[in-house]
Amino acid sequence: MVPDRAKLVARGITKRFEAATAVDRVDLEIGAGQIVGLIGENGAGKSTLLNIFSGIVAPDAGTMELDGRPFQPGGFGAAGARGIARVFQEQALIPNLRVYENLLLSHEARFTRFGQIMQRRAMVDLAQALADEGGIGVDVTRATSSLSFSKRQLVEIARACLVPSRVLGIERPIILLDEPTASLDKADEAVFFTLVTRMRNVASFLFVSHRLTEVLRASDFVYVLKDGRVVAKLNAGDADERQLHGLMVGRERDADYYHESEQTTVGRSVVLEARGLRRSGAYSDVELAVQAGEILGIGGLLDSGKSELGKGLLGVEPPDDGEVRIGPGEWQRPDIGRALVEGIGYVPSERLAEGIIPDFPVSWNMSLASGQDLFASAWGLWRSAHETEVAKGMISDLDIRGARPNVSCQKLSGGNQQKVVLARWLCRSVRLLVLDNPTRGVDAGAKEEIYGILRRLTAAGVGIILITDELLELIGLSNRILIMRHGRVTGIVDAPPDAKPTEVELIRLMLGSSGQPDRVLAA
Amino acid sequence: MTDDISIDAVSQNHMRPARTVTLQALRSGLWLPVGVVVALCAFFAIATPSFLTLRNASGILGQASTLLLACLGASFVVLMGSIDLSVGAMVLLTGAVTVTALNAGGIGVLALPLAVMFGTGLGLANGAIFAFGRMPSFVVTLGTLSFFTGAGWQLLEGRALRFDSTAFENLAIGQLVPYVPNIALFALVAWAAMALVGFRTRFGRYMYIIGGGEAVARTAGMPVRRYQIYAFALSGTMAGFAGALAAARLGAAGPTLGQDLLLNSLAAIVVGGTSLSGGVGGVHRTLIGVLIIALLDNGLNLMGVNQYTQMMVKGAVVVAAVLVSQTRTRQLVIK
Repeated sequence: MVPDRAKLVARGITKRFEAATAVDRVDLEIGAGQIVGLIGENGAGKSTLLNIFSGIVAPDAGTMELDGRPFQPGGFGAAGARGIARVFQEQALIPNLRVYENLLLSHEARFTRFGQIMQRRAMVDLAQALADEGGIGVDVTRATSSLSFSKRQLVEIARACLVPSRVLGIERPIILLDEPTASLDKADEAVFFTLVTRMRNVASFLFVSHRLTEVLRASDFVYVLKDGRVVAKLNAGDADERQLHGLMVGRERDADYYHESEQTTVGRSVVLEARGLRRSGAYSDVELAVQAGEILGIGGLLDSGKSELGKGLLGVEPPDDGEVRIGPGEWQRPDIGRALVEGIGYVPSERLAEGIIPDFPVSWNMSLASGQDLFASAWGLWRSAHETEVAKGMISDLDIRGARPNVSCQKLSGGNQQKVVLARWLCRSVRLLVLDNPTRGVDAGAKEEIYGILRRLTAAGVGIILITDELLELIGLSNRILIMRHGRVTGIVDAPPDAKPTEVELIRLMLGSSGQPDRVLAA
Repeated sequence: MTDDISIDAVSQNHMRPARTVTLQALRSGLWLPVGVVVALCAFFAIATPSFLTLRNASGILGQASTLLLACLGASFVVLMGSIDLSVGAMVLLTGAVTVTALNAGGIGVLALPLAVMFGTGLGLANGAIFAFGRMPSFVVTLGTLSFFTGAGWQLLEGRALRFDSTAFENLAIGQLVPYVPNIALFALVAWAAMALVGFRTRFGRYMYIIGGGEAVARTAGMPVRRYQIYAFALSGTMAGFAGALAAARLGAAGPTLGQDLLLNSLAAIVVGGTSLSGGVGGVHRTLIGVLIIALLDNGLNLMGVNQYTQMMVKGAVVVAAVLVSQTRTRQLVIK
């Protein structure tokens, strides 16, 4: 798999934003047919580099060559014309179009007669040929919105790989993949990697991901970026995850990453019990109990209903049936207002939509769950000075870097934004936190800090429900792990520090005994 | 990288902590509307000799006061990302009810608190339909706009209803301070009170939060629906206040009462700088918007510009104001 010549060669690429250098003298090569991994913490410069390659941002210094010719794209379209395509983290297909229309989007002019009349048949035939070549197994005349999320992702990758060569006549395009698997579950991931591997005959890949296992498995080479610089270029076969962690954050990842030694022994008292929870189309027959000081992990594939269950437990999206009991209290329907009063907090997975208001100051974002008690007087006057004091305390307590009470949240990194959401609950006396993917989009360093915060909370007797897609996080943090499949609890696994379950054990429970999903809801 | 940038941005832009956020927000982006007020004054002062007279200034105050009172509450509604189209209709209906009540029994000054309570009730109805019916506020208040207007005209039987109470009349046209009609004092005090409510109370903060991120407010357990109802109720309260004092100022309630408020109230709020998408701006800014609209009305009248042209000018000003404020938010986001 050693290429005869390099396809894309970048030398000394540098980009500054105001005072900060986002990308610093980066040298990078992508050979024909290669899959090159690019990893680094959030803010290490990965996105900026992709933006430069795809013509969205012009570098301040450095040169690029594509196929031996100088490459200075004037924009996204210009880069595309030279054969650089990009698959974004957020899907860029138009849902109300047919699949073939999406596959050939922006190339319609090639299929028109007299300028306007579309030759539908020709488009469908070509699109179907592309889809078959990509092995997606989809009828291209279907509405895009009727495909599952992962199928749509595959359509996008097929479009990026095949349209340049088959429609534009560009040989071996370079596909930039930005966190392509972030929202795929394990089963879909496998399909994705099969596709990418098959596509390496016709394309090269630059592959950015936070999931290091994947990067190592899929790539030939891995570039490690740290603070805008390439700190290492490794043969994927020679590297392991620990080493990459060390290179990314400059410290060796040790066994304390999940603070397992701080795991509490539980059995003191129940903080929350639930029985008979059901929400149609999401989950049913859910029964669970969380002890004070315990982390109860909830795992499952994307369609397992675990996120919906999290919202149901609090009453953010109340269940159709079922009751919860907080502490020794009464059995009642979940209600968000009462949950707040009883000391239950929620950290949603969609940070920018439901977690924080990016335009508003840090202090406003921290105080917004406590306007009914902590930060307003009996007469409803806002206690601004107190709010600022509390925010300052939280910022130093949780080490929220770059934050001050009056700085707007959009200026913080993902990890620090997430700490702001945690601070919203820590400034009140909570006894139970429900966390939905609390470290999604958070860099490795900030993740570990968040784990430390969670351990501190459990040591103080707070119960935690941890809903997460990351298996290692689920295993490393939880006292007990509840596995869900298609809305039902299929197993509860004990996870004491000295006898943690393996990923394989959990995956088997998530997929079902046959090792295959017995039903695919999304498709 | 992110950390470096944010630290730099912090040290450059946010040297002062805490409360200066709101003060900064107040200052930044205010120079343009204030500049427009000054420019309008200068222009009309040169264009017509009768503009810069005490008598005219007193007249502007009277006109602007009704508008200011009427849209102070509605500003909160817009701030939380909803809209209240029924302000003018509530002014008409409370005006009609107030005059009818005055004529029925000699309640005099007591008609004012009665009108305020009645207006609050109308606003509560808006809020309840909006919150419990889960309908867009645009549709709800479009409906009540028609309903309240019809009810008002029904009560007036289509003609102007006069009243005879000097005490009540003096609430609006009396002059505790020379050349300043009392209605203007009421309006300014109400403005100051509402601005304080916006800055210093839980209600005010919740309006910003709901406007800026309703989903965030809900997942954090904020009583969103209750505060939405409060906001519509407050809009009704202020419309009731405006309706009573407008009737007092005119000495009657007629079918045209509040008619110009549908456009003018929204225009004043938006021109003042409160964004229709919610979460941006503030009630304090509505004063500037009201001044701009009132100055335009008054100055163009004095210049003898016909009514139709005036409407065209006002429409253009509203669109221009939204255009300007939009590019500003976009820049903010990019920054």
